[in-house]
Parts: sequence; C-alpha cells; structure tokens
Amino acid sequence: MKLGLDEHAHLDSPLHHWETRYKLVGLMVLIFAFSFVQDLRLLPAMLVVTFALYSVSRLPLSYLLTRLRAPGFFLLIVAVLLPFLSGSTVILRIGSLALRQEGCLDLLLIVTKFVSILTTGLVLFGTAPFLAIIKAMRALGLPPVLADMTLLSYRYLYEIGDDLETMETAMGLRGFRARRSGRGGHKAMPLLGVLASLAGTILVRSYEQSERVYKAMVLRGYGHSPRPRDEFQACPRDVVGLGGVLVLAAGFVAAEIFFRRFGG
Amino acid sequence: MHIPDGILPAAVSVAGYATTGAATWYSLRRINRKENPQESIPRASLLTAAFFVASWIHIPIPPTSVHLVLNGLLGAVLGYYAFPAILIGLFFQAVMFQHGGLTTLGVNATVMGVPALLAYHVFRLRNVVVRRGDPGDRPHQVWTGVFGFLAGSGGLGISALMALILLITTVPAHLDVEVERASVYALAVAHIPLMVLEGIFTALVVLFLQRVRPELLED
Repeated sequence: MKLGLDEHAHLDSPLHHWETRYKLVGLMVLIFAFSFVQDLRLLPAMLVVTFALYSVSRLPLSYLLTRLRAPGFFLLIVAVLLPFLSGSTVILRIGSLALRQEGCLDLLLIVTKFVSILTTGLVLFGTAPFLAIIKAMRALGLPPVLADMTLLSYRYLYEIGDDLETMETAMGLRGFRARRSGRGGHKAMPLLGVLASLAGTILVRSYEQSERVYKAMVLRGYGHSPRPRDEFQACPRDVVGLGGVLVLAAGFVAAEIFFRRFGG
Repeated sequence: MHIPDGILPAAVSVAGYATTGAATWYSLRRINRKENPQESIPRASLLTAAFFVASWIHIPIPPTSVHLVLNGLLGAVLGYYAFPAILIGLFFQAVMFQHGGLTTLGVNATVMGVPALLAYHVFRLRNVVVRRGDPGDRPHQVWTGVFGFLAGSGGLGISALMALILLITTVPAHLDVEVERASVYALAVAHIPLMVLEGIFTALVVLFLQRVRPELLED
C-alpha cells in the first residue's frame, strides 16, 4: 500500500528549494488569507496566484486532478443544493425549481476558495518530503509529543494498512464476503461481529507491536539522548520568498477589508 | 463530518485552531502527569495509525456501505491520547486524501476530539458500576458492552450535532429560516441510525478487546 505523499517531493523547482520552515509559514498564511476572502471581485486574483504557484512548483497537472477527484462528492452536493436553496432573487425557473442568484454566487465563492486552498496545500505538502515538514513544524514549536506521535503513526500507517489488506484477503479466502450481506449473505449482527473482531485484531496487533517498538527505541537511546538539532539553514532567498508571500497575503486581506468598507 | 476548506469564515477556522490548541494543551498536561509519559508514546502512535486504518473498514448497508468514525472507541481506548490522535488522524486525512482541510483542521479536531474525551469519561463510569469481580463475569461483560455503546453512539452523536450547528449557523449562504430548520431536522434524523450502528460496533470491539487484551481498556 502506497499513499504517495512524497511522490514529487524531489523535483527541481524554486518551491522545492525554498527552506521548509519559511515555506510552511508563508503558504499557511496565504491559505488563511484566501479563507478570509468573501468578495467575489478578489476571486480571479486568487485563482491567478494559486495557479502561478502551482506552475512554479512544476508539480504535474495529473497530480492536482487526481487529488481534486477525492473531495469532488462534496463539491457536487454544494453545486446541486446551493443554487436552488439559497437566496431570493430567482434568475431561472425550471418547473417547480427556481435557480437563485445568491445561491449561484455563494457556490462560485465556495468552490473557488476550496480549489485555491486545496491547490496551495498540495504545493506545500507536495514540494517537500513529509518528514522534513514535520521537522519544520517541530522547529517552529510543535510539542515533542505531537511530533513523535505524528512521525511514528506515519511510519506504521503503511504497515498496518498492509496488515488490514492481508487479513481481508485471508477472510475472503475462507469464504467471508462483507458485501454479500442481506439476502443469501451474512445476517446483520454476526456480520458486524466479524468486522468488529477485524477492527479489534488490528488494534491488538498494533498494541503488541508497539511494545516491541518501544523496547527497540529505548535500546537506541529514546528519551535519554538529547534531541538532535534541527538541520534547517535559511539563506536570503528564503527570507525574500517569505516576505513576498506575506505581502501577497496581506494584500488579499487589505483588499477584502477595503471592499467591505467602501466597495459597495 | 470532515468540514472542507473554503466553506467556513476565516474567523471560525481561527477559533477552531484556538479550541484545538487549548484541548491539546490540556490533554498533553494530563499525559505528562504520568510517571513515564514517553513509554506510552509508541503505544498511542501505533494505535492512532491502527484507528486510522480501522476507519477504512466499510460496513455494508445495501445498496451502499458506510465507514465508521470511531471517535468514541478512540476515547475509550486511548484516554487523553485520544485528542492528539484525532488531530494527527485528521491531519493525515487532509494532506493524503484531501478529506477535511488545512484551514478547517482545528474545527474538525474540536468537533471529533472533544466528544472523544467525553466518551472516555463515559466509558470510565464502567469502573464505578463494576468495581470488583473477574472481567469474564457476565455483569462485567454486560456493563462493558453498555458503556461501550454509550461511548460510541454518544461520541458520534455529539460530533454530528456540533458539525451541523456549526455548518448551519456559519455557512455564508442566504438560506431562509424554514429551509435551515428543515435541513437541521433532516440531517439530525439521518444520523440516528448511524449513531446506533456506531454504538453497536464500539460495544462489539470493546467486548472483543476485553476478551483478548483487557489491558488495552485499562486506564
């Protein structure tokens, strides 16, 4: 099982070379500036900035399209409901359904913000190895317990995922078909019982493995040796990059405030 | 249940991060009170990964299937580690599968994590009801099942309620009051069967753990 998070982390682009701590702060501030925007006039600028960032990152377009597919279901629900339920200005009537102007504008705002934030997030997490991002978070003040838990969970996620696949295959080979419930299949309660045992077994196996992992970690000095120093080193280019993105983010916030006060 | 990016106002997202920060601080403070807090980190981490994987198990409900949230079960098994575990799980969901979002991570962690902590305290009431006796006893098993059900269904129920209230009151849509009220009722009613399912599943898992590895349920 591969989750492919570091798939494009080693490409050669200015965003890949940007020091991870600065990139994390800069792009997270930009993401929050995007979420602050409510004025429709700022949406084109938001899309331009987002896709400029994505093209500078040299991440393949297929990567973005695959990642956008997963939350597509949410977008579909919003797209179907909002234009018909929200607002009072009817712009088109199809039988008993009324297409409303406010709903269409709400939809435009939500979808644009969603795509911009998601794409910027992909640039952030697609242009650096996951390990480097957690180290950068630790350098920026993430509590050690959270950093250790995140790294250990990430390390064993792949293994435990493979364990689940193996167990499901073994169950299938022994005649268990979860999808054949109901008529001709398993009765509801025994089926739930089997799936609960499957979930329980995953927990028990991880618990037993964690005891061995802890002993191995203690043997290697975990909890006794000083924490390694973070290896980040920023150059002037990183600082300039951060400054540029912060100015951009401040520009969006300032423009939003201006439009709210004086934009009509 | 995972509120995506772009839908909530920035102020709500920032408030979500603030409540998550406070709940994480409180959880870590309780964890650090233990004699050797580092000893339980690998255990909590591997169980975090295991819960993440276990939530991929789909329960077939013809013609479709649902996956469970398991935040009540997480609270019952992990105690104060449940909040950091949920925060980490949601972070993985957001960056690996684009479920939930980066701006809404704080809101989602609060919505799922605070009920998990409540579920932990509900499940601990089991120790008040059955103080003595062999864990294999019939009353012991019955009460474990009952409190497992309450933790599982309550965890999901409170989370669903929090998410619904948040969505309905903060989404920047021009919904009229009637539509708003109708959607709250419809979504609340739709969650009742899921609460029952989550409760039964949690009860079955805690009974399994009680039988196979009872120390996993000890405080």
